[in-house]
Amino acid sequence: MDWSPLIPAVELTIGILAVIVLDLLARGRHPWLTTSVALLALAGAAVSACVQPTSGLDGGAETLLGVLQLDRFSVVFTVFCCVTGFVTILATVRGEAFPTPGGEFLVLVLSAVLGMNVLAMSVDLVALYLAFETVSIAGYVLVAMRRADPRGNEAGVKYVLFGGVSSAVMLYGLSLVVGFAGGTSLEALSRAIEAGHVTGQPLWTVACVMVFAGFAFKISAVPFHFWAPDVYAGAPASVAGFLAVASKAAGFVALIRVVGATRMGVVPEASDPLTTFLPDGGVLISLIAVAAILTMTVGNLAALRQRELKRLLAWSSIAHAGYLLLLLAVWSEGALAALLFYLVAYLFMNLAAFLIAGIVIRERGTGDIEALRGMGRRNVGLSLALAVLLFSLTGLPPFFGFAAKLQLFYAVFERGFVWLGVIGLLNGVVSLYYYARVLGVLWFQEAEDAPVLRLSRADALLCAVLVVPVLGLGLFWWGAWDWARDVARDLPLVMGVR
Amino acid sequence: MSMLTTIVFLPLAAMLLCWVAPARLARVINVVACSAVMVLAVVLWIQLDPALSGYQFVQTASWLPGVVSEQGIQYYVGLDGIGLALVLLTAFVSLTAAIASWNVEKQVRGYHMMFLLLLTGMLGVFVALDLFLFYVFWEVMLLPMYFLIGIWGGPRRQYAAIKFFLYTLFGSVLLLAGVILVVLKTGSWSIPEITELAKAAVASGGDGGILGSASLCLAAFIGMFIGFAVKIPSFPFHTWLPDAHVEAPTPISMILAGVLLKMGGYGLIRVAYPFFPQAAVDCGAVISVLSAIAIVYGAFVAMAQTDFKRMIAYSSVSHMGFVTLGLAAGTETAINGAMYMMLAHGTISAMLFMIVGVIYERAHHREIARFGGLAWVMPKYFVFASIAFFASLGLPGGSGFVAEITTFVGAFDGPHRLWAIVSLLGVVITAAYYLRTLQRVYLLETPEVYKDTSAYPDLSVREWVVLAPLALVTIYMGILPATVMDIYKSVVHETLVPLLSAAGSRFGG
Repeated sequence: MDWSPLIPAVELTIGILAVIVLDLLARGRHPWLTTSVALLALAGAAVSACVQPTSGLDGGAETLLGVLQLDRFSVVFTVFCCVTGFVTILATVRGEAFPTPGGEFLVLVLSAVLGMNVLAMSVDLVALYLAFETVSIAGYVLVAMRRADPRGNEAGVKYVLFGGVSSAVMLYGLSLVVGFAGGTSLEALSRAIEAGHVTGQPLWTVACVMVFAGFAFKISAVPFHFWAPDVYAGAPASVAGFLAVASKAAGFVALIRVVGATRMGVVPEASDPLTTFLPDGGVLISLIAVAAILTMTVGNLAALRQRELKRLLAWSSIAHAGYLLLLLAVWSEGALAALLFYLVAYLFMNLAAFLIAGIVIRERGTGDIEALRGMGRRNVGLSLALAVLLFSLTGLPPFFGFAAKLQLFYAVFERGFVWLGVIGLLNGVVSLYYYARVLGVLWFQEAEDAPVLRLSRADALLCAVLVVPVLGLGLFWWGAWDWARDVARDLPLVMGVR
Repeated sequence: MSMLTTIVFLPLAAMLLCWVAPARLARVINVVACSAVMVLAVVLWIQLDPALSGYQFVQTASWLPGVVSEQGIQYYVGLDGIGLALVLLTAFVSLTAAIASWNVEKQVRGYHMMFLLLLTGMLGVFVALDLFLFYVFWEVMLLPMYFLIGIWGGPRRQYAAIKFFLYTLFGSVLLLAGVILVVLKTGSWSIPEITELAKAAVASGGDGGILGSASLCLAAFIGMFIGFAVKIPSFPFHTWLPDAHVEAPTPISMILAGVLLKMGGYGLIRVAYPFFPQAAVDCGAVISVLSAIAIVYGAFVAMAQTDFKRMIAYSSVSHMGFVTLGLAAGTETAINGAMYMMLAHGTISAMLFMIVGVIYERAHHREIARFGGLAWVMPKYFVFASIAFFASLGLPGGSGFVAEITTFVGAFDGPHRLWAIVSLLGVVITAAYYLRTLQRVYLLETPEVYKDTSAYPDLSVREWVVLAPLALVTIYMGILPATVMDIYKSVVHETLVPLLSAAGSRFGG
């Protein structure tokens, strides 16, 4: 038996233990020590994830005990989460006031990444659920880390309540699914569906709805999105960024696995693009398509009224989840590639946006959009970076967000779902309003007494590292797209077939 | 490096230069860069062979291979007569606008950088032959425009900037939907290649067009038409224009009216009509009606304005209606007239906005009712104002007359004659509001306030340098229209007209 798929997980675990021990020994006196150990663990996990996979790739999917499967998709996602964790730690160390960013914070981030790593490899419903919960529980505590902050506590409680209920619902749904499948592995599930055990069963619909509810909570899809704005607003900006990026991506990864396994995923192409509205691919696909439209529309409309930067970004991230769901609904190789591509764009844009939000909150003491007033003249670099990010989030060329959206809508149109695509595109217009409103405050309104907003070198560097790809990949995204297509090609559209 | 790449990216290079150079040099850099662009445009004019209808100065380079097709997205630029005419217009209007920007004092460096970025975007649109490149330039233009209105605009600038941005983005996404459909079905990003496919589709006599389905073609055409119509702006997508114009600073209004509105017409001529000739012909009646409404309604609304600048803005809506009217008619003369209208309106409206700017700078208001007798205080200014007014209302000798008469003559030959006749009404109303404004602002009695010659000096050197060339070109285009029409005539004759007439003849229309 080849245990090598577990190397990144082992590294992360060692990192967690080391941080705990060092934190106890040093008693919080040398925060840089624990921090660097945590960063090292993340970097190590990312590197070994990149280096190891060649074995499991060519000869089809190789599973570990039938529970974990190492493929390029899981590798990519592991790296994705490590990067997010890395940036989150850096942003927190330098970011918003954080009374004790000590050992426990690092441990929680590492645990969440560990959970995501396992999640990415899970091809078994039990493993999937456990990994999912690991991520969630770490998230609950991360949100409420600032004990003295009542908003943070409120956010934590909300998150835990919503999360707990949705997990329970999902678990119940999974139990039904297992009943249908006759086993916990996704492969068993796909066999059962192939054998026709679920056709015409009302209980299968119930199971699908319940399982999807669990995922919808994680990716904050409408109508399970209510927690997100409050939680993001209450959490430190860097943690909110972590939740918005890594936690959401985790939900999508799990969804991809499950949708793939249900084989309902093979959506027939729309016969007449102008009269077909929803993809016809079974309960789960219809649910996803409807949720996609609702999520992007509600997210964008609600964002119009936000006055606080973090809340605005929260609603915007809800809207983006809607765009991504659209890709799951049309389900093709191109769509999966576009999903990966979009997630990468999303990573850079959102991590950077939350980073800047954190900097502004730290400097100004408030996360109000009004706090940005006149910043266009006080700190041109940061304002330009924010302008690039917001334009990119809107999906305007020549930024990365546009390339991602182009591929996204191309995949949707390619399958013949013109109306879904047009609704998505028009949503982009709505989103421009609130992004541009921030820019309006930033650039168009003069401030009488706003002090110069200083940026430390480390912050500036981190910003640059995140913003430059948004610029560069917007014009030269060929390499990134090619890579996304390669990865998507390796991921079987329907699990258990290879 | 080819000429076209140079002309497009020269402003961008100048923008970077602006960034590093001292702020006081920014305006010099801007004017020098615009002059250089003008010179290059004239060189292109001399070198381009007007007899050829194909693209010249073509340059291609691999950019994003493998996206959709093997060849993928290319850096692909080229110029034909239509493109050249609009490049010349862009260069000319931008140069005058750059000179008009000489006295901008707020955040000088940023202003000129945005101005130059805008210029790159505009020129890029007119030379891009790859759909992706075209779309990128199309959108890139929005960003500097948004900031130029939003930072350097009037009191309601934030509202106007976002309204402009939202409207145009709304159009853009519909355009993007059309582009994606086209690229999806044809597997090509190249505009000339897709045009050839459309030609073949029409020639084959099939129903499907390039998308393989007539209804899909119609949907894509409508999407693209709306996308371009927002920019033109056609009725009923015109409501952003008055706000944007009123709030934008004078030079930006000049560019907005002089060049940006032309992009909509250009998009129709270059993309929407050649790609979907059948759908275009089928929609001809609707477009004619919308054009007639734009011409007549725009003129009426212009007449009702009390704000000088707003009046000019609505006159743009009215005049740009001729562009869509001519295109909808589909005859060669009408299309030539529509093209000529774009060029004529480009120079005349730039001049008109400068004229409003001149008086606004002195009086700090634009209420038509509060002016009067300015001709006696500023006689030279009055001369330019009358040239612009008369050219715009279509007096023979000005470029507007040539454009209108050609469009009308062509449209009478076309299938939608009734709407051409209705549009004639617009000309009368236009004459009415211009003459009335001329009388109320420049003639009659001079109120006491305006008699102070120190507060109301006649034209400064800067204003002379802006207005005189615009006036000269306007008169030149009115007297020797053939020399200008020759630039693009053969392209219209050999590319657009055969397509549309082939598509039209299928129904015996």
